[in-house]
Amino acid sequence: MGPREYKLIFAGSMGAGKTTAIGAISEIPPVLTDVHNTDRGTHAKATTTAALDYGEVTLPGGDKLRLYGTPGQLRFDFMWQILAEGALGVVLLVDNSRPDPVDDLRSYLRAFRQTVAGSRAVIGIGRTESHPLPALEAYHAVADECGVTVPILSVDVRRRDDVLLLLNVLFMQIEAFESDLVEGVRA
Amino acid sequence: MTSMVFEGHAVREQVCLASITALVEEHGDVAGALVSTVDGFPVAAHLRQPEAAPRLAAMTSSLVALAEAISREAHAGECRDLVIDGGTGRVLLMDVPQAGGKLLLTVLCAPTATLGQVLWAAQHCRRDISARLEATA
Repeated sequence: MGPREYKLIFAGSMGAGKTTAIGAISEIPPVLTDVHNTDRGTHAKATTTAALDYGEVTLPGGDKLRLYGTPGQLRFDFMWQILAEGALGVVLLVDNSRPDPVDDLRSYLRAFRQTVAGSRAVIGIGRTESHPLPALEAYHAVADECGVTVPILSVDVRRRDDVLLLLNVLFMQIEAFESDLVEGVRA
Repeated sequence: MTSMVFEGHAVREQVCLASITALVEEHGDVAGALVSTVDGFPVAAHLRQPEAAPRLAAMTSSLVALAEAISREAHAGECRDLVIDGGTGRVLLMDVPQAGGKLLLTVLCAPTATLGQVLWAAQHCRRDISARLEATA
Protein backbone atom coordinates (compact mmCIF):
# COMPACT_ATOMS: atom_id res chain seq x y z
CA MET A 1 0.00 0.00 0.00
CA GLY A 2 1.37 3.40 -0.96
CA PRO A 3 1.63 6.40 1.32
CA ARG A 4 -1.67 7.58 2.72
CA GLU A 5 -2.96 11.11 3.07
CA TYR A 6 -4.82 12.26 6.12
CA LYS A 7 -6.96 15.36 6.36
CA LEU A 8 -6.94 16.92 9.81
CA ILE A 9 -8.62 20.11 10.92
CA PHE A 10 -7.75 22.66 13.58
CA ALA A 11 -10.76 24.37 15.15
CA GLY A 12 -11.47 26.64 18.10
CA SER A 13 -12.16 30.23 19.02
CA MET A 14 -10.60 33.31 17.45
CA GLY A 15 -7.07 33.76 18.82
CA ALA A 16 -6.79 30.17 20.15
CA GLY A 17 -3.71 29.60 17.95
CA LYS A 18 -4.92 27.58 14.97
CA THR A 19 -2.86 29.55 12.43
CA THR A 20 0.14 29.53 14.79
CA ALA A 21 -0.09 25.76 15.33
CA ILE A 22 -0.16 24.99 11.59
CA GLY A 23 2.67 27.45 10.97
CA ALA A 24 4.74 25.77 13.73
CA ILE A 25 4.79 22.36 12.03
CA SER A 26 4.03 22.78 8.31
CA GLU A 27 6.91 21.86 6.01
CA ILE A 28 5.53 24.09 3.24
CA PRO A 29 4.92 27.82 3.68
CA PRO A 30 1.34 27.74 5.01
CA VAL A 31 -1.47 29.04 2.80
CA LEU A 32 -3.02 31.88 4.79
CA THR A 33 -6.23 33.88 4.32
CA ASP A 34 -5.52 36.48 6.99
CA VAL A 35 -7.46 39.73 6.78
CA HIS A 36 -7.50 42.90 8.85
CA ASN A 37 -9.45 42.34 12.11
CA THR A 38 -11.97 45.16 12.53
CA ASP A 39 -13.51 43.63 15.67
CA ARG A 40 -10.93 44.64 18.26
CA GLY A 41 -13.59 44.41 20.98
CA THR A 42 -13.65 40.63 20.67
CA HIS A 43 -9.91 40.16 20.19
CA ALA A 44 -7.02 42.62 20.10
CA LYS A 45 -5.05 40.87 17.37
CA ALA A 46 -4.41 42.68 14.11
CA THR A 47 -5.51 39.98 11.68
CA THR A 48 -7.91 37.07 11.57
CA THR A 49 -8.40 34.02 9.32
CA ALA A 50 -11.32 34.58 6.91
CA ALA A 51 -11.41 31.28 5.00
CA LEU A 52 -8.77 28.71 5.96
CA ASP A 53 -5.14 27.96 6.73
CA TYR A 54 -3.41 25.09 5.00
CA GLY A 55 -0.18 23.29 5.78
CA GLU A 56 1.44 19.90 5.14
CA VAL A 57 3.55 17.49 7.16
CA THR A 58 5.13 14.28 5.84
CA LEU A 59 5.43 11.50 8.41
CA PRO A 60 8.59 9.32 8.63
CA GLY A 61 6.82 6.42 6.81
CA GLY A 62 5.88 8.72 3.89
CA ASP A 63 2.27 9.30 4.86
CA LYS A 64 1.19 12.91 4.46
CA LEU A 65 -0.89 15.07 6.78
CA ARG A 66 -2.96 17.81 5.20
CA LEU A 67 -3.70 20.35 7.90
CA TYR A 68 -6.65 22.73 7.57
CA GLY A 69 -7.26 25.58 9.99
CA THR A 70 -10.78 26.96 10.30
CA PRO A 71 -11.85 30.56 10.97
CA GLY A 72 -12.81 30.82 14.66
CA GLN A 73 -15.83 33.12 14.61
CA LEU A 74 -19.36 31.74 14.47
CA ARG A 75 -20.21 33.92 11.46
CA PHE A 76 -17.84 31.71 9.43
CA ASP A 77 -19.54 28.46 10.46
CA PHE A 78 -20.30 27.63 6.81
CA MET A 79 -16.52 27.18 6.38
CA TRP A 80 -16.48 24.73 9.29
CA GLN A 81 -18.85 22.41 7.43
CA ILE A 82 -16.90 22.71 4.19
CA LEU A 83 -13.54 22.06 5.86
CA ALA A 84 -14.77 19.22 8.09
CA GLU A 85 -15.93 17.24 5.03
CA GLY A 86 -13.77 14.11 4.82
CA ALA A 87 -11.63 15.05 7.83
CA LEU A 88 -10.19 12.11 9.73
CA GLY A 89 -9.68 13.96 12.97
CA VAL A 90 -9.88 17.35 14.64
CA VAL A 91 -7.60 19.31 16.96
CA LEU A 92 -9.77 21.60 19.10
CA LEU A 93 -7.85 24.52 20.57
CA VAL A 94 -9.16 26.52 23.52
CA ASP A 95 -7.85 29.86 24.79
CA ASN A 96 -8.02 29.75 28.59
CA SER A 97 -7.86 33.56 28.80
CA ARG A 98 -11.25 33.99 27.10
CA PRO A 99 -14.31 35.02 29.17
CA ASP A 100 -15.92 31.55 29.13
CA PRO A 101 -13.49 29.07 27.55
CA VAL A 102 -15.38 26.03 28.85
CA ASP A 103 -18.46 27.16 26.95
CA ASP A 104 -16.26 27.76 23.89
CA LEU A 105 -15.27 24.09 24.01
CA ARG A 106 -18.91 23.03 24.38
CA SER A 107 -19.82 25.01 21.22
CA TYR A 108 -17.00 23.59 19.11
CA LEU A 109 -17.58 20.02 20.29
CA ARG A 110 -21.17 20.40 19.09
CA ALA A 111 -20.24 22.10 15.83
CA PHE A 112 -17.70 19.39 14.94
CA ARG A 113 -19.63 16.51 16.47
CA GLN A 114 -19.50 14.38 13.32
CA THR A 115 -15.69 14.37 13.31
CA VAL A 116 -15.47 14.25 17.10
CA ALA A 117 -17.77 11.19 17.08
CA GLY A 118 -15.63 8.11 17.51
CA SER A 119 -13.31 10.24 19.64
CA ARG A 120 -11.16 11.22 16.66
CA ALA A 121 -10.24 14.43 18.44
CA VAL A 122 -7.75 15.95 20.82
CA ILE A 123 -8.25 19.10 22.85
CA GLY A 124 -5.43 21.55 23.52
CA ILE A 125 -5.91 24.20 26.21
CA GLY A 126 -3.68 27.23 25.70
CA ARG A 127 -2.52 30.17 27.84
CA THR A 128 -2.81 28.12 31.03
CA GLU A 129 0.45 29.56 32.36
CA SER A 130 -1.03 33.08 32.56
CA HIS A 131 -4.60 31.84 33.14
CA PRO A 132 -4.51 28.59 35.20
CA LEU A 133 -8.29 28.57 35.67
CA PRO A 134 -10.54 26.95 34.59
CA ALA A 135 -8.66 23.73 35.39
CA LEU A 136 -8.58 20.78 33.00
CA GLU A 137 -11.27 19.02 35.09
CA ALA A 138 -13.83 21.57 33.93
CA TYR A 139 -13.07 20.64 30.30
CA HIS A 140 -13.30 16.93 31.04
CA ALA A 141 -16.73 17.57 32.54
CA VAL A 142 -17.88 19.29 29.32
CA ALA A 143 -16.51 16.45 27.18
CA ASP A 144 -18.41 13.96 29.37
CA GLU A 145 -21.54 16.09 29.08
CA CYS A 146 -21.19 15.95 25.26
CA GLY A 147 -20.66 12.19 25.42
CA VAL A 148 -17.09 12.18 24.09
CA THR A 149 -13.95 10.70 25.62
CA VAL A 150 -10.98 12.59 24.23
CA PRO A 151 -7.57 13.54 25.60
CA ILE A 152 -7.27 17.09 26.94
CA LEU A 153 -3.79 18.59 27.18
CA SER A 154 -2.35 21.90 28.28
CA VAL A 155 -0.27 23.22 25.36
CA ASP A 156 1.60 26.20 23.98
CA VAL A 157 1.04 26.00 20.20
CA ARG A 158 3.96 28.34 19.56
CA ARG A 159 6.15 25.36 20.49
CA ARG A 160 6.54 22.91 17.62
CA ASP A 161 6.92 19.99 20.04
CA ASP A 162 3.60 20.80 21.69
CA VAL A 163 1.79 20.75 18.33
CA LEU A 164 3.50 17.49 17.36
CA LEU A 165 2.40 16.05 20.71
CA LEU A 166 -1.21 17.00 19.92
CA LEU A 167 -0.96 15.28 16.54
CA ASN A 168 0.63 12.15 18.03
CA VAL A 169 -2.16 11.87 20.56
CA LEU A 170 -4.76 12.49 17.83
CA PHE A 171 -3.24 9.68 15.77
CA MET A 172 -3.51 7.30 18.69
CA GLN A 173 -7.19 8.24 18.89
CA ILE A 174 -7.68 7.68 15.16
CA GLU A 175 -5.90 4.31 15.23
CA ALA A 176 -8.02 3.18 18.17
CA PHE A 177 -11.14 4.27 16.24
CA GLU A 178 -10.04 2.40 13.10
CA SER A 179 -9.20 -0.81 14.99
CA ASP A 180 -12.62 -0.60 16.67
CA LEU A 181 -14.14 -0.36 13.20
CA VAL A 182 -12.20 -3.42 12.00
CA GLU A 183 -13.23 -5.40 15.06
CA GLY A 184 -16.80 -4.29 14.50
CA VAL A 185 -16.69 -5.67 10.95
CA ARG A 186 -15.18 -8.98 12.15
CA ALA A 187 -17.70 -9.41 14.95
CA MET B 1 -36.38 45.96 -1.15
CA THR B 2 -34.97 46.87 2.24
CA SER B 3 -32.08 49.17 2.98
CA MET B 4 -30.05 48.66 6.10
CA VAL B 5 -27.03 50.17 7.73
CA PHE B 6 -25.18 48.47 10.53
CA GLU B 7 -23.59 49.79 13.70
CA GLY B 8 -20.21 51.41 13.51
CA HIS B 9 -19.08 54.46 11.55
CA ALA B 10 -22.31 56.28 10.68
CA VAL B 11 -20.83 58.40 7.88
CA ARG B 12 -19.19 55.44 6.19
CA GLU B 13 -22.43 53.47 6.32
CA GLN B 14 -24.55 56.26 4.87
CA VAL B 15 -22.04 56.80 2.05
CA CYS B 16 -22.05 53.09 1.19
CA LEU B 17 -25.82 52.84 1.39
CA ALA B 18 -26.31 55.80 -0.96
CA SER B 19 -23.96 54.25 -3.55
CA ILE B 20 -25.41 50.75 -3.49
CA THR B 21 -28.99 52.05 -3.49
CA ALA B 22 -28.18 54.00 -6.65
CA LEU B 23 -26.56 50.90 -8.18
CA VAL B 24 -29.63 48.73 -7.54
CA GLU B 25 -32.20 51.36 -8.55
CA GLU B 26 -30.45 52.46 -11.73
CA HIS B 27 -29.73 48.97 -13.04
CA GLY B 28 -32.65 46.60 -13.49
CA ASP B 29 -30.28 43.63 -13.73
CA VAL B 30 -28.84 44.26 -10.28
CA ALA B 31 -31.03 42.47 -7.74
CA GLY B 32 -29.25 43.58 -4.58
CA ALA B 33 -25.96 44.83 -3.15
CA LEU B 34 -24.02 44.75 0.08
CA VAL B 35 -20.93 46.47 1.45
CA SER B 36 -19.00 44.68 4.19
CA THR B 37 -15.68 44.74 6.03
CA VAL B 38 -12.81 42.47 4.96
CA ASP B 39 -13.39 40.32 8.04
CA GLY B 40 -17.03 39.72 7.27
CA PHE B 41 -19.20 42.30 9.01
CA PRO B 42 -22.02 44.01 7.03
CA VAL B 43 -21.70 47.80 6.65
CA ALA B 44 -24.70 48.61 4.43
CA ALA B 45 -27.14 46.45 2.51
CA HIS B 46 -29.81 46.99 -0.14
CA LEU B 47 -31.31 43.52 -0.48
CA ARG B 48 -34.66 41.83 -1.03
CA GLN B 49 -33.86 39.62 1.96
CA PRO B 50 -32.07 41.90 4.43
CA GLU B 51 -31.69 39.06 6.93
CA ALA B 52 -29.19 37.50 4.52
CA ALA B 53 -26.74 40.39 4.98
CA PRO B 54 -24.62 39.02 7.88
CA ARG B 55 -24.16 35.64 6.20
CA LEU B 56 -23.44 37.14 2.78
CA ALA B 57 -20.87 39.45 4.41
CA ALA B 58 -19.06 36.53 6.08
CA MET B 59 -19.11 34.47 2.87
CA THR B 60 -17.82 37.39 0.83
CA SER B 61 -14.95 37.80 3.30
CA SER B 62 -14.01 34.10 3.01
CA LEU B 63 -14.23 33.98 -0.76
CA VAL B 64 -12.27 37.17 -1.37
CA ALA B 65 -9.59 36.05 1.12
CA LEU B 66 -9.36 32.69 -0.66
CA ALA B 67 -9.25 34.35 -4.09
CA GLU B 68 -6.39 36.53 -2.85
CA ALA B 69 -4.53 33.42 -1.64
CA ILE B 70 -5.00 31.82 -5.08
CA SER B 71 -3.82 35.01 -6.80
CA ARG B 72 -0.67 34.96 -4.66
CA GLU B 73 -0.10 31.26 -5.36
CA ALA B 74 -0.50 31.82 -9.11
CA HIS B 75 1.58 35.03 -9.06
CA ALA B 76 -1.45 36.72 -10.62
CA GLY B 77 -1.02 39.97 -8.71
CA GLU B 78 -3.63 41.59 -6.54
CA CYS B 79 -7.13 40.12 -6.79
CA ARG B 80 -9.70 42.81 -7.51
CA ASP B 81 -12.88 41.13 -8.78
CA LEU B 82 -14.45 37.72 -8.42
CA VAL B 83 -17.36 36.57 -10.62
CA ILE B 84 -19.53 33.66 -9.51
CA ASP B 85 -21.36 32.34 -12.55
CA GLY B 86 -24.46 30.54 -11.34
CA GLY B 87 -27.11 28.74 -13.34
CA THR B 88 -29.76 31.30 -12.45
CA GLY B 89 -27.74 34.42 -11.71
CA ARG B 90 -24.35 35.90 -11.12
CA VAL B 91 -22.67 37.27 -8.03
CA LEU B 92 -19.86 39.81 -8.27
CA LEU B 93 -17.43 40.28 -5.40
CA MET B 94 -14.93 43.11 -5.44
CA ASP B 95 -12.79 45.16 -3.12
CA VAL B 96 -13.41 48.84 -2.45
CA PRO B 97 -10.11 50.62 -1.75
CA GLN B 98 -10.21 53.28 0.95
CA ALA B 99 -7.68 54.92 3.20
CA GLY B 100 -8.82 53.29 6.45
CA GLY B 101 -8.60 49.72 5.15
CA LYS B 102 -10.55 48.39 2.19
CA LEU B 103 -14.18 47.31 2.16
CA LEU B 104 -15.85 44.61 0.06
CA LEU B 105 -18.76 44.98 -2.36
CA THR B 106 -21.14 42.11 -3.16
CA VAL B 107 -23.50 42.53 -6.13
CA LEU B 108 -26.33 40.07 -6.81
CA CYS B 109 -27.34 40.01 -10.48
CA ALA B 110 -30.50 38.80 -12.17
CA PRO B 111 -30.25 35.86 -14.59
CA THR B 112 -30.84 38.24 -17.48
CA ALA B 113 -27.80 40.37 -16.61
CA THR B 114 -25.11 40.93 -19.20
CA LEU B 115 -21.79 40.37 -17.45
CA GLY B 116 -20.02 43.33 -19.02
CA GLN B 117 -22.88 45.67 -18.19
CA VAL B 118 -23.14 44.73 -14.49
CA LEU B 119 -19.36 44.59 -14.07
CA TRP B 120 -19.10 48.11 -15.44
CA ALA B 121 -21.90 49.30 -13.13
CA ALA B 122 -20.38 47.59 -10.08
CA GLN B 123 -16.93 49.02 -10.81
CA HIS B 124 -18.50 52.46 -11.12
CA CYS B 125 -20.17 51.91 -7.73
CA ARG B 126 -16.83 50.87 -6.22
CA ARG B 127 -15.13 54.03 -7.50
CA ASP B 128 -18.08 56.11 -6.27
CA ILE B 129 -17.82 54.68 -2.72
CA SER B 130 -14.02 55.19 -2.64
CA ALA B 131 -14.33 58.78 -3.87
CA ARG B 132 -17.13 59.70 -1.46
CA LEU B 133 -15.31 58.15 1.50
CA GLU B 134 -12.16 60.02 0.58
CA ALA B 135 -14.16 63.25 0.45
CA THR B 136 -15.57 62.67 3.97
CA ALA B 137 -12.23 61.58 5.47
